[in-house]
Amino acid sequence: MTDQEIVAKINSALAEEFEYDLAAMTPETTLFEDMGLDSLDVVDLVIVLETAFSMKVREEEAIRKIRTLGDIHEFVIAKKRQLEGDR
Amino acid sequence: MSYQYAVIGAGVSGITCALTLARSGQKVALIEQAPRTAPLLRGFSRHGVHFDTGFHYTGGLGPGEPLELFLSYLGVGDRIETFCFDEQGFDLFRCDDPAFEFSFPIGFANLREQLVASFPAEREAIDSYLDQVAAACNAMPYLNLEAELSQESLLQRVIGPSLREVLDRLTGNELLKSLLSVHSLLYGVSSREVPFTLHAAIAGSYYQSVRGIRGGGLSLARAFDARLAELGVTVLCSRQATGIELSPGGAVSGVRLADGELVPCTAAIATVHPQLLLDLVPEGAFRPVYRKRLASLEETVSAVLCFATCDKPMPGLSGSNRFYVPDTAAMDELGGRTVGNGALYLSAAYRDGDPVPAGFIGICPALYSEAAAWESRRGKRPTGYAGYKEEALERLTTQIARVYPELSGHIGSIEASTPLTVRDYCATPLGGLYGVKHMVGQYNPQPATRVPGLFLSGQAVASPGVMGAVLSGLVTCGTLLGHDRIRKELKGCC
Repeated sequence: MTDQEIVAKINSALAEEFEYDLAAMTPETTLFEDMGLDSLDVVDLVIVLETAFSMKVREEEAIRKIRTLGDIHEFVIAKKRQLEGDR
Repeated sequence: MSYQYAVIGAGVSGITCALTLARSGQKVALIEQAPRTAPLLRGFSRHGVHFDTGFHYTGGLGPGEPLELFLSYLGVGDRIETFCFDEQGFDLFRCDDPAFEFSFPIGFANLREQLVASFPAEREAIDSYLDQVAAACNAMPYLNLEAELSQESLLQRVIGPSLREVLDRLTGNELLKSLLSVHSLLYGVSSREVPFTLHAAIAGSYYQSVRGIRGGGLSLARAFDARLAELGVTVLCSRQATGIELSPGGAVSGVRLADGELVPCTAAIATVHPQLLLDLVPEGAFRPVYRKRLASLEETVSAVLCFATCDKPMPGLSGSNRFYVPDTAAMDELGGRTVGNGALYLSAAYRDGDPVPAGFIGICPALYSEAAAWESRRGKRPTGYAGYKEEALERLTTQIARVYPELSGHIGSIEASTPLTVRDYCATPLGGLYGVKHMVGQYNPQPATRVPGLFLSGQAVASPGVMGAVLSGLVTCGTLLGHDRIRKELKGCC
């Protein structure tokens, strides 16, 4: 999976599950201000990523630091690379 | 009449919420679809013998312990009389393959001693296990009021480790692992799935002290009723909530009942099974991801139960429960075996006011799928169900006669319930004894939701059992009124 494909998959999954306009999603989109997520949604964010990429997200500290869509892209890409490296 | 809070479901969690809010001066309505509050806690009577369905014994109810404190905080502690289970053996464990018996004594030190006596080569594993259980209990902010009140780690239970993982690291002795997993029946999740921290909080409270309530769960239900009346809570029984109404701004404005009446309120607390909540809220109120999450929560194990009266007093059943496993793998396969071939749990039943048992309750973990073929609405079971139920009872009775022959000759009457009965009386869609599971890998809901004024409580939120349900109510009220405030008030009751 290329980085671009990962980004596209993240965006479409979040747009569907959080009812946000896919066309308006850029790496600078902020989760809390732009997308209207709050701390309650963090668990669901993790679940969306786990489901979309069939992986377990256990990096609680990293998740807490996520502010923008770009942060999510970077987090997932790094994690995918790490998982591939482990194989 | 308008209320500050409408609480949906008058089980132990709902009652806890109602009492906690009412004692802080809030105007509360408590809505229950059954004719009486706390139907599961109340149990039922047959031939003069009372059978508890929701409460058999508990940890944490000794002097100064968490549940005793909680009940005193709720104003019911002095309305019930508790008694201590057998100090030498509150649970009598028996395994056939390998042949082994063990009496769980009350108290960590006694348990340590007895475990080491039975498994001398496992001293290190036993010490480490009990130390980890005690440490996990002490780290729980409501079980230990001095524990640090940091937001419980988002992923703590989800990440695990599971009970089985902890035990596997400590020992290769399958019999010891099976013995230490036997209390999984108290929360309905197998040792491979249950987060160690949850197991520790529940089993640890039993290791500390084990008590029953004179008159059973019914006495506690009556005490709750008296206190609800005293605090002026409006209790609406035989009234089913069918919808949570929202204002144009999206905040909770009332709870609609089946008869069409609206209970206006500024906030609602739903203690129903999370999957049933989805039918109560307007379609767009939750995000798709949250709806899916609630809909896909896994359910705890179900059971076939039997309720037997005995033709003579059974003092041998007093103060101890029986746990039977045919082999060491049985507890890993909670509910995975046909009735009569798996684990079995027996607890005493009493005649009103008589301290000597006059019957017993038998519980055999079972999967809902076993009974699903006869799924239908309550009271209208399809043809064939009676035959299924009869056969299940026959198998269960045969097992009881084989395992506990001292009982079999003295059974007067015996009746059974199936996973479908559990589904209808516990209001769990798949007959789970404890609603949804608390399991590694599963994200259970938190008290707050994204709908302003809508909160969740019930055992899905914190933990199962009577203590878990009270705890869930307190945690939800902590979210509403401030955890520091609730904990301070609780400390004031010490």
